Amino acid sequence: MKNEQDGGRSKEKETSAAVDAAGSSNEVWEKVKNKLNEYLSADAFSRWFKNAELIEDDERGAAVIGVNSDMQQIWIETNYMDEVRAAFAEGAGIHTQAFIRVLGEEVAPSVKKVARGSASASDQVKVVKQDEESPKTVALERKLKKMGINPEFNFESFVVGDNSQFAHAACSAVASGEGRSFNPLFIHGRAGLGKTHLMSSIAQQLLISDPKAKVVFLTAEQFANEFIEAVRKGNLDSFRKSYRTADIMLIDDIQFLAGKERTQDEFFHTFSGLLNTQTQLVLTCDRPAHEIQQLEPRLVSRFESGLTVELQTPGFETRVAILQRKMDQWNVVLEDEVIFHIANLIQSNVRRLEGALTRVASFSFLSSEEMTIAKVDDLLRDLIRDENSRQITVDAIQKAVCEQYDLSLADMSSRRRPASIAFPRQIAMALSRQLTNHSLVEIGEAFGRRDHGTVIHACKRVEQEIEVNTEVKAVVEKLIAVLQR
Amino acid sequence: MKFQIAKEAFLDGLQQVQHVVSSRTTLPILSNVLIEASESGLRLTTTDLDVGVSGTAEAEVSKTGSTTLPVKRLVNIIRELPSAEVEVSVDSKNVASIKSGPSFFKIIGLPDTEFPPLADFQDAKEYQIPQNLLRDGLKKTSYAISTDETRYVLNGIFTSFKEGKLTLVATDGRRLAMVDNDLEFPASHETDFIIPTKAVQELQRLLNSEGDLTLRLSDNQVCFEIGSSIIVSKLIEGNYPNYRQVIPAETKERLTVGREALLETVRRVSLLSSEKSNSVKLSFGANELGVAANSPDIGEANESVEVKYDGKEFAIAFNPDFLQAPLRALDDENVHLDLIDEMSPGVLRTEDAFLYVLMPMRVTS
Repeated sequence: MKNEQDGGRSKEKETSAAVDAAGSSNEVWEKVKNKLNEYLSADAFSRWFKNAELIEDDERGAAVIGVNSDMQQIWIETNYMDEVRAAFAEGAGIHTQAFIRVLGEEVAPSVKKVARGSASASDQVKVVKQDEESPKTVALERKLKKMGINPEFNFESFVVGDNSQFAHAACSAVASGEGRSFNPLFIHGRAGLGKTHLMSSIAQQLLISDPKAKVVFLTAEQFANEFIEAVRKGNLDSFRKSYRTADIMLIDDIQFLAGKERTQDEFFHTFSGLLNTQTQLVLTCDRPAHEIQQLEPRLVSRFESGLTVELQTPGFETRVAILQRKMDQWNVVLEDEVIFHIANLIQSNVRRLEGALTRVASFSFLSSEEMTIAKVDDLLRDLIRDENSRQITVDAIQKAVCEQYDLSLADMSSRRRPASIAFPRQIAMALSRQLTNHSLVEIGEAFGRRDHGTVIHACKRVEQEIEVNTEVKAVVEKLIAVLQR
Repeated sequence: MKFQIAKEAFLDGLQQVQHVVSSRTTLPILSNVLIEASESGLRLTTTDLDVGVSGTAEAEVSKTGSTTLPVKRLVNIIRELPSAEVEVSVDSKNVASIKSGPSFFKIIGLPDTEFPPLADFQDAKEYQIPQNLLRDGLKKTSYAISTDETRYVLNGIFTSFKEGKLTLVATDGRRLAMVDNDLEFPASHETDFIIPTKAVQELQRLLNSEGDLTLRLSDNQVCFEIGSSIIVSKLIEGNYPNYRQVIPAETKERLTVGREALLETVRRVSLLSSEKSNSVKLSFGANELGVAANSPDIGEANESVEVKYDGKEFAIAFNPDFLQAPLRALDDENVHLDLIDEMSPGVLRTEDAFLYVLMPMRVTS
């Protein structure tokens, strides 16, 4: 495994280009094969490589070699990866990472599923399940808690609506082992829409069907911290081992990796190592992969190589369904009218929706007062204010910046470029990038039809200024505070 | 339940079964040993749900019954007891009182109803195997089992009953060990399966050199009955890769060498193989084998061994640990090393049906 990791360091991007340059993949493979024939003994070559084929895989920028049997894969991977890499480099001038894959039966999925612990429970296990339902679930719950998974986050407790149907289906498929081609599964959506819930459900489902499965569940922040710790203590090897032997790896809030180069590098190798062994990976992020700033392109492309699903904000019906589910769970009863009203007030965030319900429900429980719409409004007034001001608009940003620098709003979209106008405009662009969900193009559009390159430049410029100029830093911080109030 | 037992007998019985119990179990009951007292003596059973081991111990039972007690703690207590005689009585709440000479212990157990029973092997296929045959076979192959969990089908010994032969195979992708033995069994019993490493270890602990053992096989479990002891294990599910693909079809050169002489030489020389390359180089000349190792910063070693060889002169490098492992496990006087060239795997054979394929290391010189 290690061998392949090293190969990853060379620029994958060259692959596809080089493949074009070297002609069709057949020619490339002939050249590589000739080289291999030189490196290896005749016996070894005919035994392991003669009937192998090259399958192009430009998307991931890696070469995939198809072989006929498990043994061929095992033997090549343990013994000949160096030769393969060298043959690609010298034979065809391609620096790439090679993967070996068994053609035909995709390494028999059924085999992997029942691997250890076996789902087709033996007599022993069955007895335990029947007679010791409670200790078993207690054990599972303890295990989940230890892994930092909320045991209440399971598929049953997830309310499926139009906004989340696809994501839910994809996650169930992965949890039941059917979603083998959904690798990696990338779930994105804004805060409080259930990303972690879905991911925890996968982990839980897997642990129920196979208690011995090695499930790695962590946030990208934990990954980074552990990595730093490992670097500090100098036991990188065991750090790597601990992740690269997982059956499934689930990573929350992957956007945290942004700007952390070394961690990204390490993560990349872990990630491709796991993909390589066809280990299921599930990631969540608060935005689509390509929108994560300061994330290496090779990571972005890998994140996008599997299935990407989005969790959108739930519609009215779904919000009501969520509230009703919660009420059932807590055993409280509220008027439909009140429920509809709460669902109407809080639209953007399921977590907040539940918070609102908690507040209303506990109030009605404690005071035994009749719950009215006016009462709800009163109870939730801070949430409502927040909800309404939640959406920071480009307009609001422009206005705030103009106020700060005493400019006219027209300056924001004008073509004039004296420093006194240009720099505030750049700040406004950078803030728009940071605080709104608009794309670069849309932001450029809002600033007098500038193109997205201008916006990127503005962001960089502001970032640099903030680093060196404390005054700018203070102003930007103040603006952010004003906008978020 | 109440019984009197000799300290050593109790300790032996417990030690036979305690290895299965892992220190980190999800269910408390799995750290316990099931003790069943009947007129004929004690039966002790442990399991981790994958592998279960059961054995007997002679005891004078005055009141039959059963309970479960934490096995690690129990072993520690029994080992330290001052007198050779032990008296154990367990009340209805599964609290055990252990008396021996002047000392008295009370430990709290769990009800035996919680203990997961070992699987049932009625209607299972049955095989009779001489104990020494299986013991030697496991000894000669088990060191080559892969520990790489991502290749779980290799985490055990491939066991095949085919064409009147019992074949055992283990490989980790760099080497492969195989033993073939003739064995009688009904043609309808032809099959193959993979015994997980843990069960192999337990088997090696219990197998003797005399007598037969009974192997029973159900769909996904296997059971070994060795005298009064029983090992039950789940099988590794999945298909073992076609290992025959690894064995070179024809080899060019054959060298015959004394097993112990080669083992000792390699062991000595490997003291100076560098950590990085970790290899010893074998150079073949007329009736002479040179074994050499060197590490750039430390030094070098070489030694020659007398052999029977009349092939061409060449050199090949191997990982010294991988070369020593089979030599240690074998008991033949001489071994044959069959080779093609320095790039191709070497094959170690003995007169009987043992075979070991070993990938060479790249010689960087």
